[in-house]
Amino acid sequence: MKKTIYIITIFAFLFLVIFPLLTMVVSSFFKNGNFTLEHYLYVLNKGTLFLLLKSIGLAFAVALIATLIGGFFAFTLTKTNLPMKNIFKLIFLIPLFISPYIIAVSWVDFFIMFGNGKLFIYSPFGVIFILSLIFSPLSMIIISSSLANLSARFEEAGLMMTTNFKIITKIVLPLIKPAIISSFILVFVLSISEFSVPAFLSVNVFTTEIFTQFSAFYNYDLAVANSIVLIFICVSLLLAERYYLADAPFLSMSLKSHKVKLIELKRSKYFLIFIHFSYLSLSVIIPVLVLSIQSFQGNEAIFGKAFSLLSVNIINSVFYSFTGAIFLLFFGFVFAYISEREKIKSINLVLLITFGIPSTVLGIGLIKFFNTPILNFIYSGYWIIVIGYLGRFIFIAEKLISNTIKQIPLSFEESAKLMGASFFLRIKKVLFPLISDGLFGAFLISFIFCLGELGTTILVYPPGTSVMPIKVYTIMANAPQSLTSAMSLIVLLITLIALIFLFTGHKILTKQKWSLD
Amino acid sequence: MKNIKQILLIIVLIMSAWNCSEKSSNEVVVYTTVDQIFSDPILKDFEQETGIKIKALFDTEETKSTGVLNRLIAEKDNPQCDVFWSGDPVRAIILKNKGITIPYNSPAASDIDDNFKDKEFHWIGFSARARVLIYNTNLLKSEDVPNSIFDLIKEKYKGQVAIANPLFGTTSFHFASWFSSLNDETAKQLLTDLKTNKILIATSNGDVKKRVVQGEIACGLTDTDDAFVAKNEGAPVDYVFLDQDDLGNLIIPNTLSLIKESPNSENGKKLIDYLLSRETEAKLAISCAQMPLHKGVQVPVSIPSLDNILPMKIDYNLTAKKLEEIQTFLKSWIEEN
Repeated sequence: MKKTIYIITIFAFLFLVIFPLLTMVVSSFFKNGNFTLEHYLYVLNKGTLFLLLKSIGLAFAVALIATLIGGFFAFTLTKTNLPMKNIFKLIFLIPLFISPYIIAVSWVDFFIMFGNGKLFIYSPFGVIFILSLIFSPLSMIIISSSLANLSARFEEAGLMMTTNFKIITKIVLPLIKPAIISSFILVFVLSISEFSVPAFLSVNVFTTEIFTQFSAFYNYDLAVANSIVLIFICVSLLLAERYYLADAPFLSMSLKSHKVKLIELKRSKYFLIFIHFSYLSLSVIIPVLVLSIQSFQGNEAIFGKAFSLLSVNIINSVFYSFTGAIFLLFFGFVFAYISEREKIKSINLVLLITFGIPSTVLGIGLIKFFNTPILNFIYSGYWIIVIGYLGRFIFIAEKLISNTIKQIPLSFEESAKLMGASFFLRIKKVLFPLISDGLFGAFLISFIFCLGELGTTILVYPPGTSVMPIKVYTIMANAPQSLTSAMSLIVLLITLIALIFLFTGHKILTKQKWSLD
Repeated sequence: MKNIKQILLIIVLIMSAWNCSEKSSNEVVVYTTVDQIFSDPILKDFEQETGIKIKALFDTEETKSTGVLNRLIAEKDNPQCDVFWSGDPVRAIILKNKGITIPYNSPAASDIDDNFKDKEFHWIGFSARARVLIYNTNLLKSEDVPNSIFDLIKEKYKGQVAIANPLFGTTSFHFASWFSSLNDETAKQLLTDLKTNKILIATSNGDVKKRVVQGEIACGLTDTDDAFVAKNEGAPVDYVFLDQDDLGNLIIPNTLSLIKESPNSENGKKLIDYLLSRETEAKLAISCAQMPLHKGVQVPVSIPSLDNILPMKIDYNLTAKKLEEIQTFLKSWIEEN
């Protein structure tokens, strides 16, 4: 039975995501029906290599800054008794709920409003600045989960011998090193594949080159060849990480099975609160304030108009994202189980490749594969959007779940097996209760990512329907700024409301007090 | 477990029903690159007047309005779309060259000038926009406003002019029109001089408009609808048509194409006839200052008219071909410092 589930899930994934991508990759090796490496050799020209190096440099800087910022706040919000830390944690996540493009627009408008900083924002430094603000919350989640999982006994033992500073540098940092490196790699991969922010700030990078090949030259094969180079870099990083870290967790959600040792802050807490407020101003308050100011520059009915434009899309968006998150949870769990319990690690590489493929390539691949008379029932309905979500985010869902599974000793399941429990019973009675928090976290993050997905959805969404991010973007051209800003704020609000519903639902189902630890 | 199974079953049933619920035989599918804020009300009027359900798909500025075209090309072997409503002739010509459209000579376009139609009727033009120079009235006095594209290379406008990325949209066609109406050498020299004069390359026409409105830059080349909307919103801007003494100003009609082997081609033809009507042109004139191509359409006085503008004399098909030839040059022009 177990193997049947594996086989069905793997074949479903191959059919839904891998085959469409393969059709694109295979065609990049052919020109006029003949095998060629021409498209790949093109990448070796000086200009393209320069763009590639530039992208690597930018992504490296973003990954470093985001990990430092995320790491710092993960530490203060997990390991200290800072007042209001749960509120800070929630607000810090907001940049993840707003589209990077909208954040870039509001930052440019901010600099224009103040008449200064134009040269900075329209430069690679501007790209690094904005992407670091966007991805720092992700680093914070990854590192704080790892910190929360540190058992207090390590630090308590250290405290008997030495100072807090030495404990941090000699005990805590080495123990959370896997999470720090994982955060760096994930942010690097996300930054190097980001298109909308550098394009808006007129900074030419490798992804803008891929976009140009797609959209100005309609040279799909060359665009795919370029994408493969990008994926090669990401896969190399993952392999290097695996070699270096062996089996350490990549991403993890916390399991509260032990006490977390907190550092008692005295006077320094006022200074730290000031730092937290200052950073919140940068990452959240300024973009949201700019959007609010722009919204209120319109007439008082602007929010009503913005809401009426979005209203028909709200249910669609939430429903598709919810469905997408369920699918991601199912596929993510099965793949994570195969990877962790059956030790078939190569599955991670396949998932990373799907993650590294640009959203446009995935979109075109899905059209070419599913837009046939036989599969039209999938292509012409909303299923194609859900498949797009699956291809885009399965890597993240699987990683989140596999690290939760990794933390549960195999012996628990083996004991149940000795007692005669079937595979399903072991999963239901032993594994699920222990990883339910992790599964919920994976579901939540998948839901948020699905809700904001644009790149693939724009290419496959059925005519006559729409989802919230697409509506905001299609209205954006030539609509008053106040209208698009109001729509962005409403999307943010709806995302927050949906999250509150999900948290409440989780609380009722598990009858637990929910916290952000 | 039993409950979970039941919930999952209900979800699957609802999803399947949702997937199939919106199918209708009396419908028409239209893909458009025209801004949703202008095209959607017209499409809704069609739906109301004919009872034919419209399924529309719009493009985004973030993808430089290329999403719809990419999708039409990818869907070539099993078309889902009936009508392609483009904001410019270039995309319609690309689709014709890729064998994605079929001829349809709509009777509603009988009095539209042949220059605005494909010779084989793969596309028909209507409601035109023009490329204009939008300028910030706080930064440029009316006597200092450039009159010609060649004025933009003068020292006094150094670093003061913006254009959108010429690899995309109407700006790409504008550049190709210089190559097509001047000669290659003159056009290349013009571009070199513009670069020397530190012309700013913005991400889109909307971005050009925004930078001029915000006073970040004195003037820029954009489309009439962008300039008209900015002016209507009370921004300190105005716009002029360039080269009215000699070269003429580029006119860009909307175009309509019928997709080959489309699922609802008869309804597609009805939609094309509707969009080509005088009434539609009048509505587009009011909403976004588009100039009617039918003679005698009543429009407000503030809307520019083709009767008062010297148009650039170009062949749209040849200019689109020219664009293909110069794209690599344009890419390197953008990339050079």
